[in-house]
Amino acid sequence: MTTILFILFAGLAIGCAIAMVSQSNPLYSAISLIGVFVALASLYVTLAAPFIAAVQVIVYAGAIMVLVIFVIMLLNVEHEEPRRKRLRFLVPAAIGMAAVLIGETAFILYSVQATESGVPRTVSNVGLTQSIGVGLFTQYLLPFEITSVLLLMAIVGAMSLARRNTILSSTARVVPGAQVLAMDIDPARAGKETVETETTAEAAHLLGVEFHSNQENGE
Amino acid sequence: MDFNNPYIHSVVLIVAISVAFLTIMLLCAFTVLLERRVLAFIQGRLGPNRVGYFGVLQPFADFIKTMMKEDLNPDQSTKFVFMLAPMIAIVTAIMAIAVYPFGPLINLPYLGTFPLRIAQFDVALLYVLGVTSVGVYGIALAGWSSNNKYSLMGGLRSAAQMISYELALGLSLIGIILICGTLDIYAIVQQQSGWYGLQWNILYQPLAFILYLIAAIAETNRVPFDLPEAETELVAGFHTEYSSIKFLLFFNAEYINMITVSMLATSLFLGGWNGPGVAQFPLLGVLYFFAKVVFFLFFYVWLRGTLPRFRFDQLMDFGWKFLLPVAILNIVLTATVLFFVG
Repeated sequence: MTTILFILFAGLAIGCAIAMVSQSNPLYSAISLIGVFVALASLYVTLAAPFIAAVQVIVYAGAIMVLVIFVIMLLNVEHEEPRRKRLRFLVPAAIGMAAVLIGETAFILYSVQATESGVPRTVSNVGLTQSIGVGLFTQYLLPFEITSVLLLMAIVGAMSLARRNTILSSTARVVPGAQVLAMDIDPARAGKETVETETTAEAAHLLGVEFHSNQENGE
Repeated sequence: MDFNNPYIHSVVLIVAISVAFLTIMLLCAFTVLLERRVLAFIQGRLGPNRVGYFGVLQPFADFIKTMMKEDLNPDQSTKFVFMLAPMIAIVTAIMAIAVYPFGPLINLPYLGTFPLRIAQFDVALLYVLGVTSVGVYGIALAGWSSNNKYSLMGGLRSAAQMISYELALGLSLIGIILICGTLDIYAIVQQQSGWYGLQWNILYQPLAFILYLIAAIAETNRVPFDLPEAETELVAGFHTEYSSIKFLLFFNAEYINMITVSMLATSLFLGGWNGPGVAQFPLLGVLYFFAKVVFFLFFYVWLRGTLPRFRFDQLMDFGWKFLLPVAILNIVLTATVLFFVG
């Protein structure tokens, strides 16, 4: 029974992973990634780790991917034309790494003897909520706290990056040297502080506006 | 009968799943009728009362009527996602039913003793939260794939709203988990059987109960938090383009979500099947359970007839600046009290 379930969910995970990489539409890739997460959570359940499975679904499938889909929907990415293939050397490198991985798997499957343990593998207390909680708050307290501080730093960092107006004061006026910005600078918000830049790209960067150079079209 | 025999066990499980499914579907149908009748009485009307006695057959008439409609696919919609979205909504809504205990151990003649629940496992509460959080995709993807401004607005609003209130919902339950020391819903219900079946968790966690109730209403997109389908501004929100059976799936998913949330509130705060006399007559427990669930469903309808809708910025402010801090305060209070009392 466990074997059938394993094959089912492993197949689902691999199928979704391939779909995720090969889709051109970012939303389809995101949906496939959710499929991978759900399949992985199911595998955790068969490996007697229900807590990890539930957390996997809640955190990854339920929270992080919702934000990703939210962003994709808001940006409403148009269907891009196929881009030029860059970094061609990665293709043989990927094939080589895949060969190493398959070789490793084959080595494990054929050379390592499975040792019989007294406890059936699907019946154990390690994955239960209580044992994980006790472990996190006693033996692994320091790594747990360090991880949470790291996450806090990431949140603070993201927020300070998102607040662009900390780079310039809100009354600052950006005047590009000889260039003219496509976007007009609001005269009502113009203040005493004046910043002069050499190029449009630089001015756009200071304003926090996206700027695409048209060098390929010969400006 | 030997329930440890794998064949008998799987047959019993299939029967249990079918019974639970039918119960939920019937409860869902009559919740719709209850809503229409009660709402009518609140507004000084009579409501549907012509199909069967007091209109009891009205849900089935509605069902047949909706099924007979043409199944429309909007031009330029993303067909696959358009079809997938209602399925995600209904499947995640129904999946959560699996862990609720409908009653205590029942002793039936010739059949033996068995508990009235489908599954019982260590992380049942997290399972419910996880399945509910995946349910957001149904609405968000429906809004996106319809290729319609109103639908997209509805989908985005709903995604933002459900993420925001999920936090308050989850945090409001932590007080209960601290008191009970388990995530297993069956065990939590069993712990509330003291004092002749009246030792309910709501007596220890009144603040968490109120927080949960508010967050749950927002989580199920009901009035006064029904911004995803605000009909005066968004036509019908995320399901504007859906018709026939796909619309029915969304409609059912919403009502099943209401029932799920009510069942969770009943199990965690109002003692589940516990009540006076359950120890002597176990079947009374089933009655208590559904009576409490129906009370919550009535409460939903009552709110709908009473309160106007929030504005979107008010909704976000309320969720992040009021519910979340109060929920965290509740956790700190509960943990402190438990530390000193034991």
